[in-house]
Amino acid sequence: MTTESRDVVVVGAGPAGLFATYYAGFRGLDVTLVDAQSEAGGQVTALYPGKLIHDVAGFPAITGSGLVAGLLTQAKEYSPRLLFDTDVTGLSRLEDGTFDVLTSNRGALHAKTVVLATGVGGIHPRPLPVGHEWHGRGVVYIVSDVASHAGDDVVVVGGGDSALDWALALRPAARTVTIVHRRRAFRAHAALLAQAEREGIGLVTEAEVVAVDGDHRVRQVLVRLDSGETLDLPADTVVGALGLLSAPTPFPEWGLAVRQRKVLVDSRMQTSVPGVFAVGDASTYDGKVALIATGFGEAATAINNAAVHIDPELSLMPGHSTDEELAPPTTRTGQVPVVAVTQEVGA
Amino acid sequence: MTYVIGKECIDVQDRSCIDVCPVDCIYEGGRKTYINPTECIDCGACELACPEVAIFPARKARGNAEWETFTRDNAEFFSETLPGRDEALGDPGGAGAVGAIGADTPLVANWSR
Repeated sequence: MTTESRDVVVVGAGPAGLFATYYAGFRGLDVTLVDAQSEAGGQVTALYPGKLIHDVAGFPAITGSGLVAGLLTQAKEYSPRLLFDTDVTGLSRLEDGTFDVLTSNRGALHAKTVVLATGVGGIHPRPLPVGHEWHGRGVVYIVSDVASHAGDDVVVVGGGDSALDWALALRPAARTVTIVHRRRAFRAHAALLAQAEREGIGLVTEAEVVAVDGDHRVRQVLVRLDSGETLDLPADTVVGALGLLSAPTPFPEWGLAVRQRKVLVDSRMQTSVPGVFAVGDASTYDGKVALIATGFGEAATAINNAAVHIDPELSLMPGHSTDEELAPPTTRTGQVPVVAVTQEVGA
Repeated sequence: MTYVIGKECIDVQDRSCIDVCPVDCIYEGGRKTYINPTECIDCGACELACPEVAIFPARKARGNAEWETFTRDNAEFFSETLPGRDEALGDPGGAGAVGAIGADTPLVANWSR
């Protein structure tokens, strides 16, 4: 199954992929952005949304989530097609030099060029060591609809902020909520922990789920404490909250030259396959410095070279985004929508 | 760029670091755990998770003889053939798939606390 064809498919919605998506629109290319996660931001969203970043040009300090929000707003200027919750499973080069980007749930995306901004690989919830086979039959990793767990006995497995967040979110709807954590200490914020205790969430520590049982769906879990004692907990829902795990992208299987697991690119950010580009943490070259700041430049370089790959008559230089007719649609009036300028120079 | 596990881990192996590593690049030896410097993405999650405060970023090791030694030793866990094994571990691309290694570098194997 092949859906409509695009000038560019960008794989990965982290900072580099989001900026590449914006830049493709700015260059007049139609673009689809694909990501395995359910939201934009890649590693930034997954690992440090609240941390302050100090080395993005123009921002003395910006939170991870603030940067991602700005990048997403910018990327949407030219109405790209955004596909989240979609894994890219393969890349095949067709006879005419175009590509099919193979996906887990959207068939093949046809593209004239591909920009790989896959970072450390597709990021997914870490599977439960015991009970993952019940996924979809009571075992969940993301609670999308709290109301659907009304009256449930819920067991949350994990000890970080996300375990506490899920437990607190489910507490009003559920019959019981119990957190099972391998260690005595929680990594989660102390305030969350205190709130959990106040709200009657059960905390079973130094304990592991050793079996998940049920019929057509989960009914109970068996927990073993470090003391050797065991515990049967009724469970209609088991929430896996063991953090995230990335799966390395199998670039060699896609026919791409790699060095230390990264895609090797030239000064155009082009890989060993003409028409396939790689940017950000997924890519490497001599002197590579893996930072968000460099990823932005790599994205612009890749997209401009992709434009020339598609139409060799085009200029590599895009023109200046300050030109009124080239400016993104919502910023043509001269308004600055994302960043508030709070201080005049010299004021 | 990488984080490094120091001497505080020896004979403790709490493994909280393994729980939080988003790329599964922390490998279990016999007496301590080791971070693969090629696979580490420098996110720092392990440093915060370690109850022994055993983990530091390699970039801070310069000028600190003990940290320089452990930075080198963490790399050698993967690049050198460990005692009792036939070949170097290399970069397996995930600790879960290879399981506990059960061997240590000579530095750690002979460490007396």
